[in-house]
Amino acid sequence: MSFNISVEERPGEATITLAGELDAAAAPQFREVIEKVAEAKPLRLVLMMGEVEFMASAGLRVLIFARQKMGAGVSLYVIGSRGPVLNTLKMSGFHHSVHLQDTYTPE
Amino acid sequence: MEKCSLPAELGSLAELRRYVTEAAGSAGIDEARAYKLQLAVDEIATNTILYGYKDVGASAVISIDNEIRGDALVITLEDHAQEFDPRTMRMPNAEDLAKPLEERAIGGLGIFLAIHGVDRFEYRREGDRNLNIFQIKIGHD
Repeated sequence: MSFNISVEERPGEATITLAGELDAAAAPQFREVIEKVAEAKPLRLVLMMGEVEFMASAGLRVLIFARQKMGAGVSLYVIGSRGPVLNTLKMSGFHHSVHLQDTYTPE
Repeated sequence: MEKCSLPAELGSLAELRRYVTEAAGSAGIDEARAYKLQLAVDEIATNTILYGYKDVGASAVISIDNEIRGDALVITLEDHAQEFDPRTMRMPNAEDLAKPLEERAIGGLGIFLAIHGVDRFEYRREGDRNLNIFQIKIGHD
């Protein structure tokens, strides 16, 4: 399975839906979308990751990039992540900085 | 499965992961452990492709092989890039991993995931080849 990404922007909030395999070949596409979305300066960045089947550190680095580009004031949500992908996020300590939720519940 | 050689480009990562999935499936390794092996191979291969082969032309090749050794599946990644032992790379420690993302250093995370995801990781330089060797036990602990 390849990689798919789509974006939905509302005032104050950007939702990015990712699906498939987020490896180093796909990560630049994700990064480009983040750069674009950051221009609107959203308060919340919501990443729908329920359909992500594989995620390498290249994907994690884009999340770090998103945080560093958008600033600590922006809330980052990772929604629907499961199984080994969720494991990778936790093993990498991302649960300290990102809201990991099953369904999106803004805090 | 036979040894497989692929062009050392990011587009080959999916094929390398498929190879690992098949080898793990044939060896009877469960999905969760197969995924960890897949991730480990993907991370080390990514590193080789992006950094090891950075200055090499289109002829660069990365090879993958598998064998059953005792109670483990052994996957070997082989390349002819400059010598690089992933174990010498600084990896994030518990303190780094607890830091907020805005204070994170970018490097080392992939190799951390690779080395911690498998039961055993070895590196050897043989002649002009880098051998990255991953082992996952076949049975449950």
